[in-house]
Amino acid sequence: MAATFFGEVVKAPCRAGTEDQEEEEDERRETAEDREVRRQLARKREVRLFRRQTKTSLEVSLLEKYPCSKFIIAIGNNAVAFLSSFVMNSGVWEEVGCAKLWNEWCRTTDTVHLSPTDAFCVFYHLKSNPSVLLCQCSCYVAEDQQYQWLDKVFGSCPRRNMQVTVLTCRHVTDYKTAESTSSLHSPFLKALKTENFKEPPCCSLLEQPNIVHDLPAAVLSYCQVWKIPAILYLCYTDVMKLDLITVGAFKPVLSSRSLKGLVKNIPQSTEILKKLMTTNEIQSNIYT
Amino acid sequence: MASRYDRAITVFSPDGHLFQVEYAQEAVKKGSTAVGIRGTDIVVLGVEKKSVAKLQDERTVRKICALDDHVCMAFAVLTLFKGLTADARVVINRARVECQSHKLTVEDPVTVEYITRFIATLKQKYTQSNGRRPFGISALIVGFDDDGIPRLYQTDPSGTYHAWKANAIGRSAKTVREFLEKNYTEDAIANDNEAIKLAIRALLEVVQSGGKNVELAIIRRNQPLKMFSAKEIELQVAEIEKEKEEAEKKKSKKTT
Repeated sequence: MAATFFGEVVKAPCRAGTEDQEEEEDERRETAEDREVRRQLARKREVRLFRRQTKTSLEVSLLEKYPCSKFIIAIGNNAVAFLSSFVMNSGVWEEVGCAKLWNEWCRTTDTVHLSPTDAFCVFYHLKSNPSVLLCQCSCYVAEDQQYQWLDKVFGSCPRRNMQVTVLTCRHVTDYKTAESTSSLHSPFLKALKTENFKEPPCCSLLEQPNIVHDLPAAVLSYCQVWKIPAILYLCYTDVMKLDLITVGAFKPVLSSRSLKGLVKNIPQSTEILKKLMTTNEIQSNIYT
Repeated sequence: MASRYDRAITVFSPDGHLFQVEYAQEAVKKGSTAVGIRGTDIVVLGVEKKSVAKLQDERTVRKICALDDHVCMAFAVLTLFKGLTADARVVINRARVECQSHKLTVEDPVTVEYITRFIATLKQKYTQSNGRRPFGISALIVGFDDDGIPRLYQTDPSGTYHAWKANAIGRSAKTVREFLEKNYTEDAIANDNEAIKLAIRALLEVVQSGGKNVELAIIRRNQPLKMFSAKEIELQVAEIEKEKEEAEKKKSKKTT
């Protein structure tokens, strides 16, 4: 039994293991077939990092091969659209790798326009300044794949002299507050940073209980452990699909040190964003 | 935190929430924005038209529906639902039947408040029944009563209803409501045209592609319902933009 932040008692699985004898017997009954199925599943869920042009996988981690001083990661379709229209249209970006992974959440339809069908996480560096690395991640990276992703991207001994910026979105109902969600002015931006990040953030920090989830949380934890300055800009929105207003909520990030030099043409960016919206509109008749 | 009390509609959480009803309110926010304004002699309903798929017949995607119109078209009740389309259709059908049943039984057309109460009661029933989920819709109901007074009511998934001078539902409703709070003045609704412009201006605050994605319906006292054509809306939008420009010119003149 465990108590949650709000004092509610919930039954949590005990990691110390049970002393239940029955469980041990069940495990012994595992056949070779079970093991084979488990092996196949593990292989299916493997995170593979490779260069698309040569179709060869990277032997070392991405950051070992392409060391950088600025690493900007966009996770989720709105964050990816923001980087595509505001950052990637100014300057020439070269693709240096992509991460391919499969899990039960995978759907290829959403990634058709934003990233190529076969890859879900694409990495780019700026041709004029190869120390700036960018990641567009439009897929969901499951809990068991996050460690692999981090290992293949950051490596086991990352450099500390780089700055990591992560952009992502969550539904506003995830924002822990005493007010009701209808009184919140969504979308809004909140920040969460590691200890070594000394710059002032572009928006207010996420208040307690400052809980973040999934890949952004894994990246932040990794950076905290390895003392890498990192900041997560989290946009709370009530529209999870690609939305102009939600993408617009990321604009304050353009004034941060990481992105300042990279953005040149804002009016053109807004045009590109509008085009992206119309091509991605999925007709839904469920809601009127 | 809510996980133990949100699976069944008929279960209260210890702090008094009915989570399924609150989640139904989230479904309403998935619909496009709609605005309703009650003027002195007119009621206006405006809605953001979502772009329709190429092969879809636009005619069948109706947002604003009439619940009832009297024989000589003197009074009518218009409604607009936001949220799950299928739920809206079911509730509209029931409301229409009730309007006719009322007329046959009492020989008088329904008042706007009566039909709103009927819809709200129907919605409330579904928040108290086992095995059914609440309707995921909010409605704006407008019309004139026998006494010639214009009315605007809003209902929500919990089954509550209130009368409003102006309100918005659906996505970005909060932004539109704040705009209305600032701009709904006696001057703004002084005449019918001003009320129509206020509705369009409120929608343009959140509608992304301008006037061509706006649908508008009005009822004037003692006149039948009128749906605005795309051209008429464009004219209004052009007028609004002209007024905006003039207001900005005046401002810049004052500062120089």
